[in-house]
Amino acid sequence: MNLPDYQVLPAPLWLITSLHLLTLALHFIAMNFVVGGLVLVLAYRAQDRWCNPVILRFVRLFPIVMAATVTFGVAPLLFLQLVYGRFIYAASIVSAWFWLAVVGVVIASYYALYAASFSNRLSARKVCLAVALIGAVYVSLAYSSVFSMMERPELVKQLYAEDQSGLVWNPRFKDYLLRWLHMMAGALTIGGFFASSVAVGNPASPDPGRRFFLWGMVLGFLTGLAYLFSLGEVIGPFMRSPAIWVLAPGLVLSLLSVWFYHRRNLVIAGGALSLSMLAMVFSRHSVRLLQLEGHFDPSAVPVRPQWTVFALFLVCFLVALILGSYMLRVFFRRAESRQT
Amino acid sequence: MHYPFWDVGIGYGILMAAVAVPHVFVSHFAIGGGLYLIVAEHAARRAGDDRHLAYLERLSRFFVLVTLVFGALTGVGIWFIIGLLNPAATEALIHTFVWGWAIEWTFFIVEILAAALYYYGWRHMAPRDHMVLGWIYFAAAWLSLFVINGILTFMLTPGKWLRTGSFWDGFFNPTFWPSLVFRTGVCVMLAGLFSLLIASREEPADFRARLLRRNSAWGITGLAIMAPSFFWYWRAILGQVPSTAVQGMTTPVYWIHLSYWLAAVIAAALILFGLLLARRLHVAVAAILMALGLAWFGAFEWFRESVRKPFIISGYMYGNALEVAREPIYRKNAYLRFISCPSGDEAADLFRHACRSCHTVNGYKALKPAFDGTDTAFIAAIVKSTDLLRGSMPPFWGSAQEADLIAAHIRDRVDTRHLSEIYGLHGSELGKKVYDVRCGGCHRIGGATDKTGSLAGLADADYEGLLDMASELGEGMPAFTGDAAERAALIQYFKTLKHGGAE
Ligand code: HEC
Ligand code: HEC
Ligand code: HEM
Repeated sequence: MNLPDYQVLPAPLWLITSLHLLTLALHFIAMNFVVGGLVLVLAYRAQDRWCNPVILRFVRLFPIVMAATVTFGVAPLLFLQLVYGRFIYAASIVSAWFWLAVVGVVIASYYALYAASFSNRLSARKVCLAVALIGAVYVSLAYSSVFSMMERPELVKQLYAEDQSGLVWNPRFKDYLLRWLHMMAGALTIGGFFASSVAVGNPASPDPGRRFFLWGMVLGFLTGLAYLFSLGEVIGPFMRSPAIWVLAPGLVLSLLSVWFYHRRNLVIAGGALSLSMLAMVFSRHSVRLLQLEGHFDPSAVPVRPQWTVFALFLVCFLVALILGSYMLRVFFRRAESRQT
Repeated sequence: MHYPFWDVGIGYGILMAAVAVPHVFVSHFAIGGGLYLIVAEHAARRAGDDRHLAYLERLSRFFVLVTLVFGALTGVGIWFIIGLLNPAATEALIHTFVWGWAIEWTFFIVEILAAALYYYGWRHMAPRDHMVLGWIYFAAAWLSLFVINGILTFMLTPGKWLRTGSFWDGFFNPTFWPSLVFRTGVCVMLAGLFSLLIASREEPADFRARLLRRNSAWGITGLAIMAPSFFWYWRAILGQVPSTAVQGMTTPVYWIHLSYWLAAVIAAALILFGLLLARRLHVAVAAILMALGLAWFGAFEWFRESVRKPFIISGYMYGNALEVAREPIYRKNAYLRFISCPSGDEAADLFRHACRSCHTVNGYKALKPAFDGTDTAFIAAIVKSTDLLRGSMPPFWGSAQEADLIAAHIRDRVDTRHLSEIYGLHGSELGKKVYDVRCGGCHRIGGATDKTGSLAGLADADYEGLLDMASELGEGMPAFTGDAAERAALIQYFKTLKHGGAE
């Protein structure tokens, strides 16, 4: 009997990659809101910061944005495992305990965010937010270490040969510390941006987002460039690859977003920021492909599309969007008619 | 073998259960609880019962916190843990069902949003709109079950998929529908039992009694759905496995009987305490009922897992990630060259990939008792014929040398003294121990391959001859490699055997 072979892709690679990168960009935006927002809320120095409506709004929004972070994290992980399973499973097994701990830590952070949003006591609220931030920092570091390990299959083999207990933390910090810092700088930028957006509705109080947005941008440029130049043998091929034509406009878009931010045109600034996020995610993906070159070529995996199921997915997705906006509408409709 | 093997001291079964059990309980509760809330809200609003509404609002806060955070993330946890414990199986499932999961993800979005808005909207939303949110939540949650149920049942009964490889054949497999109905019943039952527990502490007494009756009715309804659908499910499974396999399934059948008894006890207790004596129901009784309900469902999940053994995906991939389709490749080339992440210790790697996903040496499903006081030749023989032993194990397709390596690896970690020393036995008692260790794995007395009939009442010389040529008695049967004392004791034990069973 000929059993079905599972080493096939159930849709063309371009389609899977598009969904992968799109959902990953959404994951990053939500994750940045949580991480950058937490730093902002905890680090913002102003006399009556706990009365600032932006801060209060953030504290109430965190649990919901965390839900979005998780939801938009699940999808790219699915596609990552679908295409790069060989590498991500192996790397996560080497760091198994740290990888598994992510789930527990996310649960703890998530509850801490809920606790902070329900709590009325200032000190308790601060503690909860700090716990959530520590958790989020752990998760992001763990991810950076594992995802950078998976891009070096030889390293995975070597680390596994030394220790099979799943208690190995990727020791090649130089591979991923800058990459992680770059992510965190991005978080400050996005967190600051959202704060400024919320502040628009409260012109009476100071905008706590400004400094974070600008400093995040500066740090982002510095760490990003440093990371790029730390890539070693991949820099050359990267500079010559089409990805550079995506990264370059991405950088320009970031600068443009600063310009429009400065002009208080947050809608255009936000659009530019989102597009530059997409460009970054694409570049990050291209670096991954270059690093895996010689080990794996995803376009060589045979494709056996499941179009009917995919079509059903699209329909469900559409229905989800419609239902989602319907629910938000009825939720806020009543809220407003009550308030006025 | 395409992946490194996580060598963790805790048994894989325990790790898996630690993550999966809480999730499975909470996720079914998340569905049933959603239905419960919305049905109760309708009733409370129709009756204009403010106390009931306030109670439901409190319940929904707890509900949101448990299901959205803990329920959703332990689900992610299961995904993480199966990726660590059996990456190959996870990979096979994702390649086959990725769009199924993508569809589930769309339901998940709706579910999360609906639950959050439902909770935050109690006070300010128009009742009708609020209840619409509740229904949307329930529909989305149940549809996620619909999808996951397809994938779970696929692992047990992939049915036509094994021939066609088609998504739909795998998804709507032979146990899809009975399992879906059964799990829906579980959701309803858990919602009833859980709300029973919460309500048992409400005041005043007549309000409590009203709630308790309502919640007991939910529990009983759930059970009433579960019992027949379970029977249907079991029939569907029997239709998929060869009847010889059913004979070997002593464990699953045991669990089935246990679960029927449990169901009867829960139903009786619900009728007695929840409906008839609702006024006097104590928190402790409600807690016990809840525990019994979870045990019932746990027994079912355990049963499902044990029926599937030795496979992770029936007929396709074994529990240790061995793919059925690769048998000829392994038989020809053996295992070692396919181990993609070697640790440097070949014996350890082989042991991990062949046995460690189900056994540890000392802890969970320990191999130590089975191999204490034996020898490398015997262990190697067992390694080569694991599929003959009780417990439905995967076959071994490695080479003889590889089996020797595994045997030496195990032997280094077990007690190497003689059986008589280890257990302090002699005479026919030692003989019985020798039998248990060296023969009982394949010929359990009273089991399907009981050899008492051939062994009882022979002459000494026949016994000697039988042990001399043991390895020729059956394909895969080991030679007798015990020492002279063990041989003598075993023969002494044989002599106590009578036709029709041991004394
Ligand atoms: C897919 C899971 C699986 C794999 C892989 C597996 N086993 Fe088992 N094994 C079982 C189960 C289940 C039992 C029944 C034990 C029980 O119920 O406690 C069992 C029982 C045994 C027993 C009998 C124990 C007893 O008390 O009678 C021995 C010996 C054994 N296994 C050895 C091995 C060896 C050696 C390997 C590797 C070559 C191996 N098993 C691989 C699942 C597995
Ligand atoms: C790894 C599994 C295994 C072990 C361990 C094992 N056997 Fe067997 N035995 C078999 C198989 C397979 C057969 C042939 C099929 C059959 O008759 O069931 C067999 C056949 C026999 C037969 C012949 C039965 C007949 O009716 O002709 C006898 C007797 C027997 N075994 C006794 C023993 C004794 C005694 C021991 C312990 C010293 C032992 N076996 C250990 C697998 C095993
Ligand atoms: C507190 C919660 C979280 C934080 C702070 C966080 C942070 C991050 C960071 C920093 C990265 C980039 C790592 C790098 O490439 O260097 C990342 C990537 C990723 N995260 Fe999250 N994450 C969180 C939760 C989750 C969850 C719950 C999931 C999924 C279940 C998830 C899925 C992913 C995936 C799949 C990627 C990378 C995908 C790819 O490289 O293709 N994240 N996350």
